[in-house]
Amino acid sequence: MHILLIEDDRKSAERVSRGLTEAGHVCDVLDDGEDGLFQAMRNSYDVLVVDRMLPSLDGLAIVRALRAAGRKTPVLFLTAVGGIDDRVEGLDAGGDDYLVKPFAFSELLARVNALARRPPTVAEQTTLQVADLKMDLLRRRVTRGQVEIDLQPREFTLLEVLMRNEGRVVTRTMLLERVWDFHFDPKTSVVETHISRLRAKIDKPFDTALLHTIRNVGYSLHAPR
Amino acid sequence: MRRDSLLRSTPFRLAIVFAGMVVMAFVATGVAVDQLLGWELRQRQDQAIRETYTVIANAYGDSDLTDLLETVETNVRATREAQRVFAVTDRNGRILRGNVGAIDVPEGWSDIPGNVIGLAPELSYRIFLGVVDGHRLLVGTSRAELDSLQEILVSSLAWATLLVALIGIAGGAWLAHRARYRFAAVARTMNAVSQGQLSARIPLIGRGDDIDVLAQDINEALERLERTVEGMRQVSADVAHDLKTPLNRLRIAIDDALEKHRRGGTVVVELEEAAAEVDRINGTFEALLRISQIEAGSRRSRFVALEIDAVLASLVEIYRDVAEDAGDTLIFETHPASGPAIRGDRELLTQMFANLIENAIRHCPRGTSIRVAAVRAGPRIVVSVADDGPGIPEIERDKVFRRFYRLDKSRTSEGSGLGLSLVKAVADLHGAELSVEDGRPGTRIQIVFSAPWTGERAPARGTD
Repeated sequence: MHILLIEDDRKSAERVSRGLTEAGHVCDVLDDGEDGLFQAMRNSYDVLVVDRMLPSLDGLAIVRALRAAGRKTPVLFLTAVGGIDDRVEGLDAGGDDYLVKPFAFSELLARVNALARRPPTVAEQTTLQVADLKMDLLRRRVTRGQVEIDLQPREFTLLEVLMRNEGRVVTRTMLLERVWDFHFDPKTSVVETHISRLRAKIDKPFDTALLHTIRNVGYSLHAPR
Repeated sequence: MRRDSLLRSTPFRLAIVFAGMVVMAFVATGVAVDQLLGWELRQRQDQAIRETYTVIANAYGDSDLTDLLETVETNVRATREAQRVFAVTDRNGRILRGNVGAIDVPEGWSDIPGNVIGLAPELSYRIFLGVVDGHRLLVGTSRAELDSLQEILVSSLAWATLLVALIGIAGGAWLAHRARYRFAAVARTMNAVSQGQLSARIPLIGRGDDIDVLAQDINEALERLERTVEGMRQVSADVAHDLKTPLNRLRIAIDDALEKHRRGGTVVVELEEAAAEVDRINGTFEALLRISQIEAGSRRSRFVALEIDAVLASLVEIYRDVAEDAGDTLIFETHPASGPAIRGDRELLTQMFANLIENAIRHCPRGTSIRVAAVRAGPRIVVSVADDGPGIPEIERDKVFRRFYRLDKSRTSEGSGLGLSLVKAVADLHGAELSVEDGRPGTRIQIVFSAPWTGERAPARGTD
């Protein structure tokens, strides 16, 4: 996957670029806003990772210019400003996701992966399948093998997010944002509680486990390897 | 230096300007009075001369000079020191009677010095000369009396002017001194404040004059400044204190890792511990930042109409299993349904109620029952989160919303001590009243939203 990183803090840029390369991606790094916009327009990248504060042209302006030119390349914003308005501003400008510094690299990687492989026509998909676990989005039914599984509405959304990211890591923060619309860090085990309830329904009664915990990072749903 | 500053003092300058204006007014009045009075006096003098002349002239009858001469003689005798002058001549111009030495004046009115009529030259006279049957008759009055009257007038006006000027300057100096004394008090206070003594206040004399009013305004501004600075000082002290602990733990974790590495061991556990501490420090910073951004109020521009019931129902649904795992029960009551009620920020309200519910779950022992309720009372919506846990002592209830305040003084329990500060900031942003009450037993936190009464009163509906 070809990723463009526009980040003026050299140390942070090096670390992210090394990490992405190690994860098997190709990563270009630029430290200037105008150069970044120029490259993003010229080449076709799979994902842009853009710092909010940049010399010559800030991150918001880059993304606005890209979107105005009709480019739909997914954008992940990075920022040191953890303000509540900044996320909304970033998404309003046309950003697709948002990550506040300092972050764990695994969090960045998970989000970049989720952005890049986002199916272009999400709405058209009506069924999801991972191994023998099937989800019918129209009738809101879940089955594993021949067994029908009864899920609470929130558990259904949780499973849907995990199934759409089959084989990829979904972090705890991503789940909080996408399943519960929580944009803060809860002090209780909201995610763990619901994951364990879900696991009890989709994994426990069956021979093989599909839902895996990735320690210190998040969760991943995939067929046994 | 002292005189210099006196000259620059505003009240003194005002006094000088006023004194100058009064002096000018006095001089102008003096000149006018002098002119008017002089003219009036001359009119009267002329009239008196003409009357005397007429009386004397009438004494002449039937070509008989005797009575005329006698009248002149009588008048001359009644005159003292040539105050008034008279003369009558024969048809050849020789002086027959009178108290003058010469009569070399034209007919009619004339103003002449004394030597023209054979008297001392420093005297001056107003003369009327007429002819009675070929005899020239002269009647006149000295101008000395008139002149001295005018002199008295001018000199008394001059003295009065001088006195006014002196009183003006002295009064100005006194006022300036007094004002300077009070301005000096203001300056002293401001100096003290700028040197960090924020509790300094300007003394008031209690007369309610303009300087007092100004001083009071300044004092009120200082009061607010002192409170704000005190608040900030408190927060920074708390921040420093609350960051010391995790920084210290971080240091220990790193030291342990280095030590272990030296002995050839693996350091994964220590590094994980260090990362966790960094996350904790970052969490504290982010919470502080978030609180101050909420307090800044810019978020209000993003308010939308929302149903509190829906926000609460969704939270209770999310947390019911969490509470169950902690051995607690969480229930939600709403009556009557509050409908599309308030304008607010869904994200912040969600976090606020989540904080309250999480507090109840975390700080109460197993078996606690937590009740979330939304009750409509007229135009207001009362939301409460109550538990039957250990409760908060009455004296601590006002303090729990302070930043970094924790009931657990040893600070061994998890938590930043910022959760309730955030709750307070969000409530304030929404103009809601926040209070902690005795749950009898336990704690009851109440948030009262004042919302316009928009929807119909819906039938009571229980949702748990």
